[in-house]
Amino acid sequence: MTAAARRHVRVAHLMGTVVSVHVYGTSLPPDLDAAIDGCFDELRELERVFSTFRPDSDVSRYRDGAAALGDLDPRVADVRDACRRAELATGGRFTAWFDGRFDPTGYVKGWAVESTARRWLEPLVARPGVIAAAIDAGGDLQLFTAVDADWTWNIGIADPHDRSRVVATVEVRDGAVATSGTAERGSHILDPATGQPAAAVSSATVIMPSLTEADVWATAAVVAGPDLSWIDTAPISSGMIVAEDGSVRRWVGGIEISPASDSVSGAAV
Amino acid sequence: MKKIIFALLATLSGVVLLFSYRTSLGDAVPLGGHDGGSSSTSTQTRAQAGTQGQAPTQSSSGGTTAGGLADGTYSGSTAQTRYGGVQVVVTVSGGSITSVDVPVVPDANRTDQSISAQAVPMLVDETMSAQSAQIHLISGATYTSQGYVQSLQSALDQASR
Repeated sequence: MTAAARRHVRVAHLMGTVVSVHVYGTSLPPDLDAAIDGCFDELRELERVFSTFRPDSDVSRYRDGAAALGDLDPRVADVRDACRRAELATGGRFTAWFDGRFDPTGYVKGWAVESTARRWLEPLVARPGVIAAAIDAGGDLQLFTAVDADWTWNIGIADPHDRSRVVATVEVRDGAVATSGTAERGSHILDPATGQPAAAVSSATVIMPSLTEADVWATAAVVAGPDLSWIDTAPISSGMIVAEDGSVRRWVGGIEISPASDSVSGAAV
Repeated sequence: MKKIIFALLATLSGVVLLFSYRTSLGDAVPLGGHDGGSSSTSTQTRAQAGTQGQAPTQSSSGGTTAGGLADGTYSGSTAQTRYGGVQVVVTVSGGSITSVDVPVVPDANRTDQSISAQAVPMLVDETMSAQSAQIHLISGATYTSQGYVQSLQSALDQASR
């Protein structure tokens, strides 16, 4: 494929997780690190505004009733509205309101990563010599590829029951891959309908053009568990879920590939 | 909303691949949409759109392999979705499904959507490691910084720095 391609990787600890930027190219622009710095700096700034752990953050002051929306960073109101829409679109399986308290953390990560990546990284793939660029925020990915590049991102999907293994691979040129689940942090996704942890599905992976949306739907998919009917009404996606017992279901373009085909595949090339 | 199932018949091996097609004639509910919607009130019916009388075409013959599938390219009949007709082409090589293409994209404005539509999660053989598969990045449920140190992604990040 691109034997001469070099990879440039930068890693930062942000938003409670690890964020890495990956750029492939036959030659890399001299201002590449400046662009990556810009991306990381903007994520840090968004973290200051939206951190629910910092009592003085804009989102904490709104949550605690210490400030009105009009007195805060306008992006707080934007995110609140987006969370309302996400809750409606997912039939309430995604929510940013827990016991009446606003906590948009589940939305902000995907949205912040996508928006900063589109500002700082996506333009890179239009530059001479650059083949592809990507951002990885704790296993949620937004991927870009130069239009004429002979390149496809080969993404592994982690085994939620054994982090040293991947259960599947998926090829994506441009788009987002988001995985939610119970793997490392335990059952941290609550079913808004019951208030109980969603446990039927160990992980759900959703592939969509936008990481903001893929992240929301991956969370909703964990809550939905074995009920895959949402793929009919969600924006068209591909993806897979790994159940607690390790069984896998997959869908492509909003269409489930029946489990019957699993018995004859099982090997990726 | 209806679900269409059609069969792809691999005539050489006699194996029948069943793909279940969930299709919808209803409106999609994008996150950015102005109105909300819930799938919970939808009704589903099941239609048998493909029968053995509608066997798909098969090109490029090949022998049956250990995987149980005859190598070749299998074209499904066109399924109606909310985005128009979609025809799936499955390529089998070495007994495994190597690609699933959706060549009929009725709406050019859906190009970005079709990119995701064609992303097929391929199950990994038990013996395949991340390295041998030349995996660039790994998607997994949120890891903490500590988890990252032990993760496959950490190894990948260091491998070709």
